[in-house]
Amino acid sequence: MIPQTPRGFRDVLPQEAAWREDIREAVQDCFASWGYMPIETPALEVQDVMTAGGGDAGHFLSLFDIDGKLLTLRPDVTLPIARMVASRLGDDQGPFRFRYCEQVFREEASLRAQSRVNTQLGIESIGLSGSGADAEVIALFMDALEACGLEEYTVAIASVEVLRSLIAAAGMDQSWNAKLLQAYHSSNLVELGELVHLSDIDPAYASALLKLPRIRGGKEAIESCSQLLAKLPGRKGAQDPCASLLATWKILDATGYSKHLVVDWGVMSSFDYYTGLVMEAYAPALGASLGSGGRYDQMLEAYGRDLPAAGFAFSLERVMQALVEQDKRVQMRRVHRIDASGDTIAMFREAKRLRGEGLRVALDYAAPKGGKGGRDGR
Amino acid sequence: MDDRPLRIAGPKGSLYPESVELLGMAGLDVSGLADPGRQLRISAGDVEYIIVRPSDAPIFVAYGGADCGLCGKDSVQEAGLPVVEMVDLGFGACRFVVAEPECSCYSAQESYRNLGVLRVATKYPNITKDYYDSKGMQVEIVKLAGNIELAPLIGMADVIVDITATGTTLRENHLEIVDDVMESTARFVANPASLRVDPRVGELAESLAAAALKRGRSAPIAGSDQPGIK
Repeated sequence: MIPQTPRGFRDVLPQEAAWREDIREAVQDCFASWGYMPIETPALEVQDVMTAGGGDAGHFLSLFDIDGKLLTLRPDVTLPIARMVASRLGDDQGPFRFRYCEQVFREEASLRAQSRVNTQLGIESIGLSGSGADAEVIALFMDALEACGLEEYTVAIASVEVLRSLIAAAGMDQSWNAKLLQAYHSSNLVELGELVHLSDIDPAYASALLKLPRIRGGKEAIESCSQLLAKLPGRKGAQDPCASLLATWKILDATGYSKHLVVDWGVMSSFDYYTGLVMEAYAPALGASLGSGGRYDQMLEAYGRDLPAAGFAFSLERVMQALVEQDKRVQMRRVHRIDASGDTIAMFREAKRLRGEGLRVALDYAAPKGGKGGRDGR
Repeated sequence: MDDRPLRIAGPKGSLYPESVELLGMAGLDVSGLADPGRQLRISAGDVEYIIVRPSDAPIFVAYGGADCGLCGKDSVQEAGLPVVEMVDLGFGACRFVVAEPECSCYSAQESYRNLGVLRVATKYPNITKDYYDSKGMQVEIVKLAGNIELAPLIGMADVIVDITATGTTLRENHLEIVDDVMESTARFVANPASLRVDPRVGELAESLAAAALKRGRSAPIAGSDQPGIK
């Protein structure tokens, strides 16, 4: 037998584990400084409970327990927290601010070189809504990425309300709407173009639907989206779905958070269960997003609670990859070695004193072979 | 952050000449692509080309090995990976069809009725599975790497799902087309993260779309006799 780990799982050796620990602690301190409380949920959940909340069972890593019950390894932490709020917190209206750092699991086909476990750092803000609450979630996402030591990153934001109201106002049938959303969700701009061109949709709506995913920039990207919608026939006097994003932007801009922020109406392509704000974070040369989040006010309804909710999660592994790309590998804290092979009691005492000063100290009980030095646990 | 070259995956094989032509029309330096020899990475100023098999292009792009790439819709569909389909480039038109032996003594439908399962030979198991799933038919898929036409002729499969540009190879092997699965043309695809952080990806998409439109006007694509994807 060759003692291997299962495909997509691996051991983390001390040097990397120590680095991971440093980042986790820095991020948790950052979350805590905004008043978020730690929370832990079980590694295993009942599969039906996760799918009821909108989880995609196609990527669940599931198993049967001895009772024949179908369980799944936690696919994310948002669904378990929603379940917990509904089942454990009674009628408490909150607001709740939770933070976590957990492994999440995702089934992947073989031959794709993908890990089946990821470490997610994230928060949930439950019972809060409005542009202040949205701005808080975005600002905290950026603070957390900075706490990791990242200097180059981008957080792209948008709001799904825009696409929803565009589709609703276009007045097409259900099956066309579903296909259009599908094209958006799978980022298929070719399909999007075909759907729009082959339909009898009002040309003004057609051009708006094709323009929307290509609008990108700062505050002006929100304004050009507002103008795009205002010009549409039959939308006079209708509520501007960009208004709340604009208010959020103003808070962030006034408090120094706009440097790494872009508005990108193509971002909503990645989402389907969000109800308002959506966001995604990127680092250069990574080839994948660092993490994502947004507002999902209807998710708790699946578990019988009616509370607004927003949050985000990002991957510790991806952040570390981005840090390596940016040459931001931190120096490990040194472990000092003391030769305690002679007067062990005295050296025990000395080590204790040094630890009291904040040093990391390990003792050697056998005389060092061939001069000084030796393994220092790194 | 733009000091790193934009990496573009280009398909070798029959899509290669038109891919190079379009990239050139889009304003990129393609002089190194004319005769790359055995080189797999070709540097040209602030872009770097990598030459890959068309079916591998979506894999390179989805996993961040390349920022963007050119390949057939069939490759994108078969890979089933998250890439952004940006532009239909118009060339390399071909279609996916279901074909079965034309001899009247044999009927795949009858075989399906008797056995409740159809044996399908193909190079494209995922596209084949999606197609039969959408029809609610149970199939056993045999994945082959080439000469698919042989499988039904020697009784190893009932039908084939394969790509065809003109139908000549199918006719020569006494197979007849019984259904259309999908149509395919070449696509410009992008890595979702590269698209968001690197403005050059979006700009290249715009230039390629304009180039494809220009080229399409001078050489109509629909029903043309352009070679398919092999």
